Amino acid sequence: MSTPLPDFITNLIGIGGPLGDYLGAFLGAFLVANFMLITTALAGPWAKRKITAAFTDRIAVNRVGPFGLLIIVADAVRLLSKELVVPEGVDRPAWDLAPIVMAASALLGFAVIPMGSIFGINLQLADPETGLVYVFAVASIASLGLVMGGYASNNKFSLLGGLRAVAQNLAYEIPLVVTAASVVLFTGTLQMSAIVDVQVNTTLAVIGGVRIPAWFAFVNPFAFVLFVAANVAEVGRNPFDTPEAPTEIVAGYQTEYSSVYFVLFYLGEFIHIFLGGAIIATLFLGGPDGPVLPGFVWFNIKIWAVFLFTQWLRSAVPRVRIDQLIEIGWKGMLVLSFANLVLTAVIVGVMNV
Amino acid sequence: MSTQEEQPEAEGELEVVDDGVDYDALADLLGDKVLDRETHTNADGFVIRADEVQDVLSTLKEEAGFDHLSCVSAQEYENRFESIYHLTKYDDRTQELSIVVPTSRENPVSESASPVYSTANWHEREAYDLVGVQYQNHPNLRRILLPDTWQGHPLGLDYDQNKPQVVTFEANKNPLEESHLGDGEDSDTMFLNIGPHHPATHGVLHLETVLDGEQVADVNPDIGYLHRCEEQMAQNGTYRYQIMPYPDRWDYASAGLLNEWAYARVAEDMADIDVPEYAQVIRTMGAELCRIASHMLALGTFCLDVYGDFTAIFMYAMQDRETVQNILEDLTGQRMMFNYFRLGGVVWDLPEPREEFFGTIRDFLDDLPPKLDDYHDLITENEIFQSRCIDTGYLDPEVAKDYGVTGPVARGSGVDYDIRRDDPYGYYDKLDWDVVTEDGGDNYARLLVRMREVEQSARIIEQCVDLLEDWPEDEREIQSNVPRTLKPDEDTESYRAVEGAKGELGIYMRSDGTEKPARFKIRSPCFSNLSVLHEMSEGEMIADLVATLGSLDVILGEVDR
Repeated sequence: MSTPLPDFITNLIGIGGPLGDYLGAFLGAFLVANFMLITTALAGPWAKRKITAAFTDRIAVNRVGPFGLLIIVADAVRLLSKELVVPEGVDRPAWDLAPIVMAASALLGFAVIPMGSIFGINLQLADPETGLVYVFAVASIASLGLVMGGYASNNKFSLLGGLRAVAQNLAYEIPLVVTAASVVLFTGTLQMSAIVDVQVNTTLAVIGGVRIPAWFAFVNPFAFVLFVAANVAEVGRNPFDTPEAPTEIVAGYQTEYSSVYFVLFYLGEFIHIFLGGAIIATLFLGGPDGPVLPGFVWFNIKIWAVFLFTQWLRSAVPRVRIDQLIEIGWKGMLVLSFANLVLTAVIVGVMNV
Repeated sequence: MSTQEEQPEAEGELEVVDDGVDYDALADLLGDKVLDRETHTNADGFVIRADEVQDVLSTLKEEAGFDHLSCVSAQEYENRFESIYHLTKYDDRTQELSIVVPTSRENPVSESASPVYSTANWHEREAYDLVGVQYQNHPNLRRILLPDTWQGHPLGLDYDQNKPQVVTFEANKNPLEESHLGDGEDSDTMFLNIGPHHPATHGVLHLETVLDGEQVADVNPDIGYLHRCEEQMAQNGTYRYQIMPYPDRWDYASAGLLNEWAYARVAEDMADIDVPEYAQVIRTMGAELCRIASHMLALGTFCLDVYGDFTAIFMYAMQDRETVQNILEDLTGQRMMFNYFRLGGVVWDLPEPREEFFGTIRDFLDDLPPKLDDYHDLITENEIFQSRCIDTGYLDPEVAKDYGVTGPVARGSGVDYDIRRDDPYGYYDKLDWDVVTEDGGDNYARLLVRMREVEQSARIIEQCVDLLEDWPEDEREIQSNVPRTLKPDEDTESYRAVEGAKGELGIYMRSDGTEKPARFKIRSPCFSNLSVLHEMSEGEMIADLVATLGSLDVILGEVDR
């Protein structure tokens, strides 16, 4: 089997003992975090524009660099050189912490995601037995960032946005976790690598000599659809982007943020979309599994597919109203996810008997 | 008497009765309340006492069926102030009546009409603001277009526009202080300023909103940020050439030719100018192209409000509008500020080669139905969209009439009122088209009305193109013979309206015998339509308030003028 990334680094720098382990873990985390930041940088200023432009019959950025790619640099310089406006009456420590909490919580989630291996290096930082619970726990810290930003901004639009964000995350976190639990019923483990292994090693069917692996998206498509829908709400994208709702409450919780803080919020949101994609990939799409190409490439294809899906929704689907959103969450998704859980439990029980 | 009055209308004998109104019968109905009678070009005017306004208007509304207070024009003469209430009927636009209320210059107090017609509320505030007539018993007689601290009334005769407006900082420190109704330690509601800079206000509109949670408890539009003294500028221009460019700038969202027609109609009416038939067809075609462009923009921005981002539909709608603008550019030489109409016709003929121009229009018309099907697939058949728009922003037809609501907004509430048909002008009465109405009264119905009106406009354009193609070359007269300097007779007064993109766009003009109008008053459809916003959105969620505002399709340039 391939070496995990932290061990590989430890071996590479040749320092033994706890210090070596520590350095290996630290540098590994540094690499993964930077990779995600680069992915986000590609997605935010460039890919998002290109995708939206394709949906709306436009061209979008094409002047700076090849395919307009240098717009990423230009945008970074532009955003970082803007004035950081601190409005009067903001609740200082909370207001400053909110963007950091947002960006950090999403990055923390990637610690346990099996990102596949490339050149014999396994790109999973840690593989605790409670991996799945850990991911949901750190991802939902973002709600705290939202409400901190919304409340501390001393702005009524921010307050409304923060309240909406909390109401929405509460309503959709539960179906999300309950649906994920139905996957755990199949696998019998919370360990992320084990969840992937179960999907890769089980054969669903062989069609014309081609083996179809038992990805849970094929095994339990109902749970997959539920999870994807709840995930869209969780990351706050159309049709569930009520916490930001530009035409209603300006920009919701991030109305008062500018410059670096805005970048952090923006980064946080995009990393969250990718984290959502990573969780979907791990739980339902066989993680880094796929033919021919290395696992890491497949993993990236899958998280970008989820990102593309959110952008498609953004371009084509109207936003629901906040009361409709809560109603869908509590009366629809929650009931369906529990139904799914019970059904899965029965099926798994029958199969095991 | 009232029965006599309504007889001809019920039996549909409109064409028999000249002007449709039996003024003597109306005068008898009002008895000795009519002090004097005037003749305006569009209708007769009854002069009444300033303290009998409510009495007279409610009699006319209840017993003679004048349910539409189209406009209130106020003006100052050397010896008096005058408020004119332009009344008409939703069922029959050709029946018009002006109620003239003079007041002395020393004590310009006149009874308010707002208990009778809710629309008078805003119109009288404007008259107070700009001219200075005081309206007794008005529920909220504050300035509406100018800031509260403004000194003097700009359209009054002794207003000195060179006098600086000195306002102390203290006086204007927080103009909203008193209106923070919802805020406070023990209050359950929250005051929220939506605008003047907000992504959803379609310009500079300020909504003073009181929220109860997410629900709208009260909403009060604060307008005037885009007031550019259009009326006064028109009063400083000569009839013949200098006024025509201004209308383009009222409803600037590509409804230019429709606006120009409003001025052309009233001026041609006052100066008794005939327009050649060929020019009428060109005007009709151009105006309907503008209507399509304007409705496309309305469609796109409304979806922007509901969808939330600059989404596919907005861009598609902008692209279709772009096609129309290209055609209009070919026709007029301009994309938005056309200045194409002239009194007595249009400024130049269709562009050469004519076949190519007609080909462009026909291509556009051929492409339109599949595009509209696309919009229906994307928007109106979307389940989320329906759940957002059906039964939100409900406008009752009676409330709509009470507030003088016109255009697609009124037709979305089932009010069958379209000046193109009800008080025909141009070439409309010779063409085959339908007035579109929907009974829903909600945001969805208003959107459907606009989309179906685009189809009707396309029908009109197609017929116009057919006519123009076969028009004999030696009969292509684009302008009638109009004197270089127009001086309508002194004290000619006229109020005429056309169906603009947003509704009834009317202009009241009075001549003082010179080559410039003595009073030029614009009746903006958006102004009246916006005044009904609180009736539609109170008790709804803030998201629906924004959608409702979008479905009203107000252009702030026209609201504030």
